[in-house]
Amino acid sequence: MHKFVAIVGTNSDNSTNRKLLQFMQKHFAAQADIELVEIKGLPLFNKPENKQVPAAAQAIADKIDQADGVIISTPEYDHSAPAVLMNALEWLSYYIHPLADKPVMIIGASYGALGTSRAQEHLRQILDSPELRARIMPSSEFLLGHSLQAFDDDGNMIDQTKLAKLAGLFSDFETFVELTKKLNHANEANREEIHDLDWANL
Amino acid sequence: MKLVGIAGSVADKSYNRMLLKYIASHFSDQVDIELLDINDVPLFNQSDDQTNGDAVQYLNHKIMAADGVIIATPEHNHTITASLKSVIEWLSFNIHPLSGKPVMIVGASYYDQGSSRAQLNLRQILESPGVDAIVMPGNEFLLGDVKEAFDDNQNLKDDRTVSFLKETLTKFMKFVKVINTMNKPEDPGWEAEDLEAKGKVETTVEGVDMHAADWVEKAAEKTHAAEGDDYVKLDRGLLTVNQLNYFLNSMPIELTYADANNQFIYYNHFLEAKDMLASRTPGQAGNPMADCHPKRAIPHVKQVIHMLRSGQTDMFRLPVPGMGPDKYVMHYYKAMHDAQGEYKGINELVLDIMPMIQYYLKHTGQMLVKDPDADTDAVSGASTNVKPEKTDAVSGASSDAEPEKPTVDEVSGASADAEPAPKPTKPDVDEVSGASSNS
Repeated sequence: MHKFVAIVGTNSDNSTNRKLLQFMQKHFAAQADIELVEIKGLPLFNKPENKQVPAAAQAIADKIDQADGVIISTPEYDHSAPAVLMNALEWLSYYIHPLADKPVMIIGASYGALGTSRAQEHLRQILDSPELRARIMPSSEFLLGHSLQAFDDDGNMIDQTKLAKLAGLFSDFETFVELTKKLNHANEANREEIHDLDWANL
Repeated sequence: MKLVGIAGSVADKSYNRMLLKYIASHFSDQVDIELLDINDVPLFNQSDDQTNGDAVQYLNHKIMAADGVIIATPEHNHTITASLKSVIEWLSFNIHPLSGKPVMIVGASYYDQGSSRAQLNLRQILESPGVDAIVMPGNEFLLGDVKEAFDDNQNLKDDRTVSFLKETLTKFMKFVKVINTMNKPEDPGWEAEDLEAKGKVETTVEGVDMHAADWVEKAAEKTHAAEGDDYVKLDRGLLTVNQLNYFLNSMPIELTYADANNQFIYYNHFLEAKDMLASRTPGQAGNPMADCHPKRAIPHVKQVIHMLRSGQTDMFRLPVPGMGPDKYVMHYYKAMHDAQGEYKGINELVLDIMPMIQYYLKHTGQMLVKDPDADTDAVSGASTNVKPEKTDAVSGASSDAEPEKPTVDEVSGASADAEPAPKPTKPDVDEVSGASSNS
């Protein structure tokens, strides 16, 4: 059974992105082990000279290391991913590289109709950067619009068409995780390159 | 022009901050740029609203007061920093100081990309509806290889970079002017002046009939107004209400206060209506200004109020002839403002300046003679050119202080069209002179 880390892309107390991940955790329990990870509480990234990552960020990095893949559910603030998620990813790429070559599935929920389409695009761009270089599952958007109306009182997704799409994408992600293991020819070079990366000392 | 600069980094050492500092100092002869610190802004959390905290309010006030904003962004992970994004999220959550604000983006990076992706990203973010900034198109200023870019005095080394930066900044200063002109609210024009006083200002006493003859008594009761021996603290002094009345009622001038809502709320009542130069009756106090003017005068009244409210002029002067050759009655309409410059209404002063003229002539041994070049008949009280630029060169009521060029009959004096005087009732036109005696 695959083990996944699911990052809640917000620090908000009430989040439909958290709800979405909680639903997946429950709904796909027979298929995979999904652990929700919160990014609230990480200090604001300030590029410390000592290159030290805070313990809370290291703990997340360790969980990602142990996982077969990562699911990120992102809200959209100002046509992009929220600062708090960008902040977590800055720590997770500051002289540590837990996401390198790690399969990632991006999903998102929004109150409005668009379902975080632009934030997901933004997040892809971020995860593709040289210090993160995650393996993002291509062509697989899951946009949950009108998210306040999306779940019933028990936290179950109401729209069955949406649910079928999510289930399909989740199964695809499990396949993608296995495929990614075969996309290994550049792993060594990637690891070396990323290890040598040090913008400050170019 | 006043700009503010934000460096999108909270790192101790930031080349983007250095770049902004350079821009601020190197071009200080052209534009005033103040750098704003974002170090104390907490990470955005919609469940823990810090909008009213000092760090966010500091940025809010500085940005609101600025004509434009320059943002220098680093690039982290193909995008802007979380610290900059967090600032923008606070500034687009419950407040929107960047809305309509002209913004220029610059960026410095260690590598040769020079923050290209971050800049594109920042554009997209700044144009989202919650932020609603107006980002200058084109003119990308990307400073790559930044560690080599500055000399020991933190000046840019490369002349071509400096001249491109100068070109970009010059364009931005023009852009700021264009955008801020575009943002200016349309002047609703003088027709929009509401002489019925249907709106309200913070001092409007609500729930009391403005038309009532005892408006003063009713409004005083409602507001628990100070009276009699109650003290009032003034700029600069302390008087009782009685003392204020002694003082105002001994002025040799008829004073009228019309507030910003076009309500006539006060006059210094020391004469009966029949003895006044511009008659008012006690029951009129509180009336909307429409009640105090004949219908045909309304457009002119509106024009004068609009000029004073919009700041086109600070004082409008109007001679109102018709009281015989022994009097020369002037109406002065002076705009009143609070300490912030907000319009607070009109102080109308009415006085006969003839005694002053006579006094002056008598005590300096002079006399009046007709100016052969004058195009006004200065002697006859009935014939007065009301064009402010001619009657009153010193006043500051220049020609653009005129609502509409009155048609002046050079022989008879002012035509009936020439009177914008906002003024409570009094009989209309002096049939002989052609000039209305008032209003």
